[in-house]
Amino acid sequence: MNNAPDSDKVLDIRNLEVSFRSIAGTTRAVNGVSLDVRSGEIVGLVGESGCGKSVTIRSIVGLVPSPPARFENGEIWLRTRRGMTETVSLFKDTKALRQIRGRDVSMIFQEPMRSVHPMMTIGKQITEGILEHEVVDPAEAYERTIEMLDLVGLPNPAGQMNRYAHELSGGMRQRALIALALVCHPQLLLADEPTTALDVTIQAQILELIRDLRERMSMSVLLITHNMGVVANLADRISVMYLGKIVETGTVEEIFKEPAHPYTQGLLASMPSLFSQPKTHLQSLRGVVPELSMVPKGCVFADRCPHVMPKCDETPPVVELRADHSTACWLYADVEEPHGPDAATTLPAPSDDGAQAESVPSVDVIQLTRSEPVSDTGEAPPVDDGSVQLQIENVALHYPILRGLLRRQVGTVRAVDGVDLTIRRGETLGLVGESGCGKTSVGRLVTRLVEPSAGRLRFGADGQLEEITHISQKEMKRVRRSMGMVFQDPLSSLNARMNVRNIVGEPLMLHEIARGKAVDERVGELLEMVGLRAAHQSRFPHAFSGGQRQRIAIARALATEPSFLVADEPVSALDVSVQAQILNLLLTLQEQLSLSMLFIAHDIAVVRHVSDRIAVMYLGKIVELGNALEICVRPIHPYTEALLASIPLPMPGLETVRELPKGDLPDPANPPTGCRFHTRCPYSQPICAEEEPVLRPLSGAADHFGACHFQDELDLQGVEEIGDLSPPAVVNAGENMSNTQAT
Amino acid sequence: MKTYILQRFIQMIIVMLVVMLVSFIIVELPPGDFLTTLREQLTEQNVDPKVIDSTVEMYRARYGLGENWVIRFGKWAWSLMKGDMGYSMQHNRPASELMGERLSLTMWISIATLVFMFIVAVPIGMLSAIRQYSAWDHSFTFLALLGVSVPSFITALVFLLLSVTLLGATTVAGLFSPEYVTAEWSWAKFVDMLKHVWIILFIVGLGDTAGTIRVMRARMLDTLGEPYIDTARMKGLSSAKVYFRHALRVAINPIISSIGMRFPQIISGSTIVAIVLTLPLIGPLLLDSLLGEDVYLACSILVVLTLALVIGNFLADLALAWLDPRIRFES
Repeated sequence: MNNAPDSDKVLDIRNLEVSFRSIAGTTRAVNGVSLDVRSGEIVGLVGESGCGKSVTIRSIVGLVPSPPARFENGEIWLRTRRGMTETVSLFKDTKALRQIRGRDVSMIFQEPMRSVHPMMTIGKQITEGILEHEVVDPAEAYERTIEMLDLVGLPNPAGQMNRYAHELSGGMRQRALIALALVCHPQLLLADEPTTALDVTIQAQILELIRDLRERMSMSVLLITHNMGVVANLADRISVMYLGKIVETGTVEEIFKEPAHPYTQGLLASMPSLFSQPKTHLQSLRGVVPELSMVPKGCVFADRCPHVMPKCDETPPVVELRADHSTACWLYADVEEPHGPDAATTLPAPSDDGAQAESVPSVDVIQLTRSEPVSDTGEAPPVDDGSVQLQIENVALHYPILRGLLRRQVGTVRAVDGVDLTIRRGETLGLVGESGCGKTSVGRLVTRLVEPSAGRLRFGADGQLEEITHISQKEMKRVRRSMGMVFQDPLSSLNARMNVRNIVGEPLMLHEIARGKAVDERVGELLEMVGLRAAHQSRFPHAFSGGQRQRIAIARALATEPSFLVADEPVSALDVSVQAQILNLLLTLQEQLSLSMLFIAHDIAVVRHVSDRIAVMYLGKIVELGNALEICVRPIHPYTEALLASIPLPMPGLETVRELPKGDLPDPANPPTGCRFHTRCPYSQPICAEEEPVLRPLSGAADHFGACHFQDELDLQGVEEIGDLSPPAVVNAGENMSNTQAT
Repeated sequence: MKTYILQRFIQMIIVMLVVMLVSFIIVELPPGDFLTTLREQLTEQNVDPKVIDSTVEMYRARYGLGENWVIRFGKWAWSLMKGDMGYSMQHNRPASELMGERLSLTMWISIATLVFMFIVAVPIGMLSAIRQYSAWDHSFTFLALLGVSVPSFITALVFLLLSVTLLGATTVAGLFSPEYVTAEWSWAKFVDMLKHVWIILFIVGLGDTAGTIRVMRARMLDTLGEPYIDTARMKGLSSAKVYFRHALRVAINPIISSIGMRFPQIISGSTIVAIVLTLPLIGPLLLDSLLGEDVYLACSILVVLTLALVIGNFLADLALAWLDPRIRFES
């Protein structure tokens, strides 16, 4: 105990090394990590997936199974009720470890949907924890559980005690899990991506709760996330982790104002923010996180670093830039005055994510210099002059709910309930909303993957609009030649048993565009177009990374040279840096091939970045439609405002002061009367519950539509237009630091 | 919960009716009439013609022969429900008499096999999963694979051979020692049966037990990888509580739901073993009746076995609903 850290620290990890043994060899997942958390502090641990964040945080409480893990080196000191305790030495002593878990340190996990036991009531699961650590009588434990459920903001806490996991929504489950974690008043909460699996509005609620509970329960938090926005608003200090090493540590202000390490700079620049210039290339990091067994010698980031120099073959020293800001990079090692390279000017141009060290034939990237969106905004005139790609009118998709032995229809899920949209040629229409709002169904409707229950679909392959609402599958095949679709999960949307040549070439053969050798050639061209190598045709999907798989899916969607592309959450399953690469690719291809696009996503920042116009969807209805920038700056529907407010901005101090939407998305089978948003709307009036507002133009703006009773009166807050909208956000974040904090 | 039970109950009755209808059609399929066969048989046995007439008339009335098939089916079904299984042409005895003891013995052996399977397979499967890749796991994996792949009649033959050559036993086959085979039920006979029955349980249950070990191991491994197990660990619970209170109840789910299915499987699976070991079970009787085209007997056995399957499934469904709140919720 003589080298125990000072009492101010709740957690002190010193030079932790964890390796995993497998048949393939030994890989070092955590390679000398040092990290501390002080009393009452929230520390963010940031990095892309596969960087060893989870192994680090799980090592603290001995949740990493060993074997296969081996703790080669390092100490983890934890402040417990018995004083400072070193936990690595306790891994063999499960009893001592168990006394710490749940009592001195607790943990919440990434997937609230799967982290609550499915067959035990919520009450029983929480009281179990109390009874394990404290000898109290069951009635008292029961009372304490109810109090705790109340504290985490679950409505009707006593009623929740007898409910099961499947009766709670994702957000409610995460609240219940937080209650479970904190019921014994631990000093440290470990949060492993606690909001990643949740919708943006729910994410904002949970982050708010964590911030609030930190104060009320005077605890510290160690938070893992890949989202720079989340840490900016929540953390006091940040450690950036890459391939088992901490590459930069600093206060949240320092990190965002002057990110020192090139990886940190890259992460910040990769995120499409609400302030970036739309339809421009994001400054992405090149490549992807390599396999742990392929970690470069010396600086682990060297092969992706834009500032790489010969010295990087050696392990970089940790340089103290300021009192509370250090980084492991050679750039700062010999310079007396620490001055990071300007992120805005020196970051690399976007390039492909073929992680191979050898040079990869890169795509002909056309830099988009124009700052105006492709088409002029304003609703398309109903006249059919060939300028309209797709027009849907009053389209609906209803699913019957069948119950009982005789499968009687007891209700209807109105997944899509009367949607009108027009997409002009060359235009990108962004469709945004929370999960369950029906946006994916719209994408499946316009490609006729599902049959519409009502309404009219018209599509113009290359000339006049033609009715496709009820045409036969045979005729639809001809139309589909002009449509491409990219799906969310790049792994499950590619047939694992088919090689890339057959995956990408199948549409060519199906539409008899090419056969035999010609297919190989065309597939080769397509692959090069999306930034892969033509020679990789014979490989199977599992041989590619997530980003590369999404490129394959894009190549397949574009094989028949369609004029229209539906992209359904094409980047939400990808890491931040890869997400930026794919968005850049989509923008480039759209420009090259003059594609029209329906871009579906839940993240309004991503949608804003690629779209000309945005349609906001809530419970099967469009609630707002208009120019992408206009909607973000001057939203007219409270739901749009809520979506904007929920996006965690990668700018510390710029906290959203707006009121967050209350509660969860209502049941689409039983939508609220009147305005569907009124149950969560902070501006709700009596009329909202009675009368359903129609989508109508805002007075004085013919191209901005809203479905709110008070859209002409409400003064809603969007994202401020910052400066002259010059990219990137990093610079803005710095420049605006002082004045935003002052407010 | 009530609607769920009611639903399952109604489904059970529908399945039973369908099976009875199919069985009835099978009974009706052979050309000619059961009464002609019966008359011929009785005549061959030199029975008094008056008796023949009255017997035939009795059957005609009971089964409604000569009327349309709906009424005939109704009467047949009704007499089945009253426990009248019809008449075995091969054995010249009522089917229920032939099935009687064999049926109850078969039921007991099947249930005992199930219990044996449960008691042996669940703990071994759990242990294999918890100590994955340990020596325990490897040896049980080996044994389980062996158990799955060796057909039960081979095991039975090997047992016969070993007990005769190594132990010098003379009465390995059968469910009873020779002196008790025809004896009335008594305590001594019961004790004698217990001495024999464990070998049968082992032989009949080995394949299923081995399969269940594999299923249990795989399910337990899946469950232990679920995030809610991490949640449970992070509460500071002991391993035993994590395994038994949190993991077991989820992992055991498919095994319970398969019980209903296993029941008839055990009955038919035991047939070959029963033939090899000359056990008085229902399987050999069914085989016999099928070979001898003894349709009433065969159909009665089929209906009874179906009833066992359906009731087994019903009980398994109830057990699942009791165990898993999600199933209660869905209904």
